[in-house]
Amino acid sequence: MAELGAACIRFALLIAIAGFGAAIHAGLSRRPDWTRVAERSLLVVAVFVAIAIGSLFTAFATSDFRLSYVAAHSALGMATPYRLAALWGGQAGSLLLWLFILCLYSSACVLANRFKNRGLMAWVVAVLLANALFFLVLLTFVTDPFETLPPEHAMSDGAGLNPLLQHPVMMIHPLMLYTGLVGFAVPFAFAFAALLSGHLGSTWFQTTRRWTLFPWLFLSIGIMLGGRWAYEVLGWGGYWAWDPVENASFMPWLPATAYLHSVMIQEKRDMLKTWNLLLIGLTYTLCLFGTFLTRSGIVQSVHAFAQTPIFTSVFLGYVLFTALAFLTALLLRRRGLRSPQRLESVVSREAGFLLNNWVFIAILMVVFTGTLFPVFSESIGERTVLGPKYFQMLAGPLALVLLLLTGIGPLIAWRRATAASLRRQFLWPAVATVATAALVVALVRSQLTPYALGAWSLGGFVTATIVQEYVRAIRSRVRHGETPLQALFTLWRKSQQRYGGYIVHLGAVLVLMGATGSVLNEERLENVKPGAELHMHDYRLRYLTAEALPAQHYGGAVARLALYRDDQPIAVMAPEKRMYWLEEQPASIPSVYSTMREDLYVVLTAIEKDGSATFKVYRNPLVNWIWIGGAIFVFGTLLVMWPHPTRPPARRA
Amino acid sequence: MSKGVQVAGGATIVALLLAWYALANLETGASFSYYKSLAEFQAASQSETGKPVRVHGYVSLGSIQRDVAAREVRFSVQNTPPHQAGAEAGPAMNVIFASLETPDLFKDGAEVVLEGRLRGGEPPAFVADKLLAKCPSKFEGQGPTTADGGARG
Repeated sequence: MAELGAACIRFALLIAIAGFGAAIHAGLSRRPDWTRVAERSLLVVAVFVAIAIGSLFTAFATSDFRLSYVAAHSALGMATPYRLAALWGGQAGSLLLWLFILCLYSSACVLANRFKNRGLMAWVVAVLLANALFFLVLLTFVTDPFETLPPEHAMSDGAGLNPLLQHPVMMIHPLMLYTGLVGFAVPFAFAFAALLSGHLGSTWFQTTRRWTLFPWLFLSIGIMLGGRWAYEVLGWGGYWAWDPVENASFMPWLPATAYLHSVMIQEKRDMLKTWNLLLIGLTYTLCLFGTFLTRSGIVQSVHAFAQTPIFTSVFLGYVLFTALAFLTALLLRRRGLRSPQRLESVVSREAGFLLNNWVFIAILMVVFTGTLFPVFSESIGERTVLGPKYFQMLAGPLALVLLLLTGIGPLIAWRRATAASLRRQFLWPAVATVATAALVVALVRSQLTPYALGAWSLGGFVTATIVQEYVRAIRSRVRHGETPLQALFTLWRKSQQRYGGYIVHLGAVLVLMGATGSVLNEERLENVKPGAELHMHDYRLRYLTAEALPAQHYGGAVARLALYRDDQPIAVMAPEKRMYWLEEQPASIPSVYSTMREDLYVVLTAIEKDGSATFKVYRNPLVNWIWIGGAIFVFGTLLVMWPHPTRPPARRA
Repeated sequence: MSKGVQVAGGATIVALLLAWYALANLETGASFSYYKSLAEFQAASQSETGKPVRVHGYVSLGSIQRDVAAREVRFSVQNTPPHQAGAEAGPAMNVIFASLETPDLFKDGAEVVLEGRLRGGEPPAFVADKLLAKCPSKFEGQGPTTADGGARG
């Protein structure tokens, strides 16, 4: 099995080199028959990579510990799903997974375009194969997942996967993230192809709209799942720590979201072509860079994999090469990208979208410099790490600006808004904003920060604009004879981009409002003897007992506490402190009581020698609105992406 | 001035404003002098008393004492891992961590990073506000866990 996998990788490498050459030739000579050759080579590479990853899955399923990678990440005692998921638990396997997903996307792209875009496809294949080549080279020469252990080191059982990763969410979080990060290779390839071929019209980005939305959706889901897993399993009461690896997945999301918005301007007004190309180039470069950051260990993180110096320099070199190659092509073609259109007024939708883009890029700059600050500071002096406060302080106000634009943007007119149109659109939402602000001040009072007031009030503003839009549209359709429900579905079918987009915004706003609840967070560390009580807000927790956990894969203790709220008994909470024997990995599994209003989150810190127990109790208001908002966000994106039988051409404004 | 220069100029001004805002509001505790090893820190400790620092070391075997009444954990750290054969342990440094909430991986021999300051006086002790612990084994994917023992603890 191992030999098959290794052979397939090396074979794929050779075919990829040949295919890349064919693609370049096809692009330069513009010969459709060579384009076909290149496309077919790509499909062959995909088949071999599929066999390779299949053989690695088989090795994990059969616990073939002759492979050092399997021995390092799997164990006989692990359940089958986790044994299979262990494939992406380490560096070599996760790179193979990346390559496999890249091949899936590339094949789909080739097959979907077999009768279209003939002029572009040669270069698209060239770019995709170049990326595949990089990973094939890494997998052959630098980190080989099929490396076998020397016979004298043969192992009868493996080291096992870190038990913290043996959780359902952790099984799919990497898959979601990769489906997101890798997927941006396709729109990137089309953008690069447009530059290389000189076909700079609107074809390249109209073709790639769905190819961009799809990975963007999965990247968004992957980021949210990471936060959810951290909250459920790591037991520190939070879901986002501005950890370098969290930031690595967030950074490409920012220009990708900016891109999704500004292509609308390109479509309507034929402007911002250069800017859009820069955004997609930046997005994909950050996807590669994020992968590099997660693996290289140049910044300390709870996620960091082991690193070798060769790997670090090769990968970083590749990221820089990609960025420079794309920029060079962009510079060479800049004349062809000039647009005759100009921004007519600052009070217009175009200006709003442009500002939206700038804010996203500003947030990106904040996150980028903050994440890499240890590297910068080490080179000029002492290595300094910036904590979460830095990110919150800078990204916070920027997020508020973004929130404001989310409300204004969809309602303001194209080209130039008049005073009358502004009054008509924004009167009611403005009233709603003031009302929300007043409500917030009345409910929260002393703990309110300026940021929180801004976030919740503007959240009310955006929600009001969305409601207004829906009400007006449904009302006008009802006047024409439809029922409200019919009208809603018509909106979702006929104007899916606009009305689906509103749902996405609603989801994002709820996420932000939920996250802002953290200004009201309370936490307490208490030591109690059995029978004693802890108090938090209107909750009461009585410590009942602690018991040893049955020893199977792990041992430890579970404590039981009776939870009361306003003196009504509600639940028994059972936080655990586990120790996984094989891996010597401790874990604090929290016990959480969730309501719409807040979460009560209890962690068993320690059972002390004198029989008392130390607990950390958190109260996290509004946190569940994050997950609810996330679900709405996904639903909205699906609405926008839903295949439409006939696509009407975009109206020129 | 061309459009490109205007945009670049505007972006630079915004970036400088953000940077100024950040630096002006950064708490003194947000950045630290980072010391790679206990030995380095002990060599420089005369000048470092009272200043916020980060020190890296290993928990000496059998030194952990949890004081439930005083809500603190006392232990000592040494420069080299206790399991390492033939290595000079060097002089140990006493540490007081002002909270009972130690990270999961904190135990005898664990690799730790301490954030805090050296308190002068006899006997000298390092008062740690933050305690990061790393797993002593070399498995991939296992990294540090942290605990914050500040005034709230």
